[in-house]
This record gives sequence, C-alpha cells and structure tokens, in this order.
Amino acid sequence: MAKAMMANPEQRNPFETSPIHPKGSTTLLYQGRKIVLSEAHSGDALLIRPEDLTQVNGFELKPEGACYNDLCIPLTKELMVSKNGREWFNLTAFADLLGQPWVADRDAAVWSFAEIPAKRENTMEHAMAPDFEVTDRKGNVVRMADLKGKKALIVTWSSW
Amino acid sequence: MDVPVWQQVYEELNDPNFVIVCAAEDVGGEAAAGPIFDAANPTYIQVIDPDHIVSSAFNFVNVPSAAWIDEEGRIVRIDEGTYPKIHTFGEGEQSISFGNDVYTPALKDWVKNGSESVHVQPPETVAANIRSHSFEQLKADAAFRLANLFREHGLPEQADRYWAMARELNPDSVNFIRQDLTLTDEGSAGETFLKMRGEYETQGKDYYRPLDFQS
Repeated sequence: MAKAMMANPEQRNPFETSPIHPKGSTTLLYQGRKIVLSEAHSGDALLIRPEDLTQVNGFELKPEGACYNDLCIPLTKELMVSKNGREWFNLTAFADLLGQPWVADRDAAVWSFAEIPAKRENTMEHAMAPDFEVTDRKGNVVRMADLKGKKALIVTWSSW
Repeated sequence: MDVPVWQQVYEELNDPNFVIVCAAEDVGGEAAAGPIFDAANPTYIQVIDPDHIVSSAFNFVNVPSAAWIDEEGRIVRIDEGTYPKIHTFGEGEQSISFGNDVYTPALKDWVKNGSESVHVQPPETVAANIRSHSFEQLKADAAFRLANLFREHGLPEQADRYWAMARELNPDSVNFIRQDLTLTDEGSAGETFLKMRGEYETQGKDYYRPLDFQS
C-alpha cells in the first residue's frame, strides 16, 4: 500500500478566515446543525432564552418541565436562571443533567453538543435504528423515521 | 470506488421498497466527495456528512460500514466491512485486493426475502454487534464537529486543537484518526494508521464485526 495513500495536505486549511458569527452572537452545534443565537450568555455556563430551547435540541417547555416525547425534566432553579432582570435557560446545566457531553470554545463563543443519550441509546439497546437527521445532496432532509415502511441500507464511505 | 457499485446493486434490485442512503464521511465535504458521487450518477440518496453524523448515530468507527434496517425500523445487520465487491489494484505479485464477494448477494437476498432471509440476524446478535458509545466517545463527536467549524472558517490552530481532543477522547475511532491523517503528507494509510491497526490487532479489538454470512 502506498505510504501516502489519499494524502491531501493542501486540504488542511483551504478556507479564507471568516467570522463564525456576527459580533456578540453565540453559535451552538448539535446534530450537524449550526444555530446562531443573537442573545445568549456565553460564560462558565451557556444561558439561552427559554424560547430558543426547541430550535436548539427539540425539547419544549411545558408546565411539567422541559419535554421531549415522554421525557420531561422538571424546571429547577438551576435550570431557570434570573440574570439582568430576565429569565434564562441554563443549557449546559440541562445537558449535564441529561448526561449529554459538550465542548465549548468560550473565546469564540461556540458550544458543541453531542447526542443526548436518552434520545437514542434505548432504541439501540433494542436493535432499533436511531432517528438521525441529515440533509441529502438535493437539499432534502432525510430522517430515519421517514424511511419506515421500506428496507434501507445505510452505508458510509469516504474519499480518504 | 464503492459508490458506482452501490448504484449497480440498486439498479439490479430495482425495488421501490428498498432505499440506499449512502453517506460520505468527509470533512472535505462537497469538494472532496461530490465529484465521486457525480461520476457515478446515483439515483439512491446521497449524503455529504462532514460531521460524521451517520457514523455517530450507528456507533461506527470505520468506513465503509453499514446497517440494514427493515420496514419497522429494526436493525437486522450492522457494522460489517461493507464492500459490495472485491477490489483489485495492480497486477501479479504487486496487486492488492480487498473487499469481499459475499456481502452483495446476501443484501440482495434480504431485499427479496425480507425476514425470511437467512441473513437476517436475531435482535440479540444485532444488539451485541452494536458498539457502546461512552460519554467520552460522545464528547469526542462534539469536539470533532467543533474542529470542523473552525476549519470551515479558516482557523486551523483551533481546528487542530479540537481534532486532537477528539482523537484523545476516542482513540478507538479509526474514522477520526484517518480523517485527520488524510490532511497530512502521510495520508490515511501511512505509518501512523498501520501502527494503530497493529495495536488494534495486538489488543484483540475490531473495527468491523466479523462477516459471518450463512451460505
């Protein structure tokens, strides 16, 4: 096998430097999506506006808590935080409660969230396909749930 | 090189109740993987997946890998070295071959016969073949995606920092190490990868589950 098979060092940094988001904004990464929030507190913890929660991770705020399907996490004082006269949702505290890993680059105000274990591990343990979501080359969103009723081969490859 | 072969398999099956979702696990994105798709002119679902969302969802650690999903959303096979044919490069003693000639016939049998196919594995076998995805490994996914964002914005130092974090958090991911090595002079099959592969074998680890198709 050739020693430098599929080496593409020129691809290491092919891009011009460009701002990740407008000044003062915060970027969240989750499930391949990039969400830019114009209002958030990016400090030791990440505080977001409660109304932004659903677009971030699919959880909805209800009287019983932050809910996704049958899973509801009660809204404790740790999760709903008052700051500068407003209420904020502590997204990193919520992630920690869910066992959801995250990595932050606070200098760049970018927070990357991994999958939420409770949203998928239960299905995998029972040999059920996880409900991932990707966009195809035609711009269509492809969800595992949309393939129900058909047999599917989900196959990966790479140019490298 | 498998992209056009999957199209051939897809056309041969010609079954409206069968779909192929073919995902390029490539931080190079459309620029790296798009022309390969275009050359094959596929009619199946093509996905460019720079953040390796599909590999993460199914806990794959290498490419090519795959899962067979039935009509009810059940996984009936998973995580095998998913080559649709034997590929041979070069001639005579210098030639290199990899892949297999059992996967595609088995896949076709399953598409035609469904749950009656001998290649459908019981749920307990499938569950045993699904890799665990620990907290550290999930965190590695988050670091990898953060690195990709920095790369897209022309910030290589930050990208390298978080790619390194991803590799450290999930040293068993062949995808992460090879993806990163692709962007070096050494390439994805150089000394570093061969050393990793040797360590894998020494430690009794696998990056694919065994191909054990019944004849």
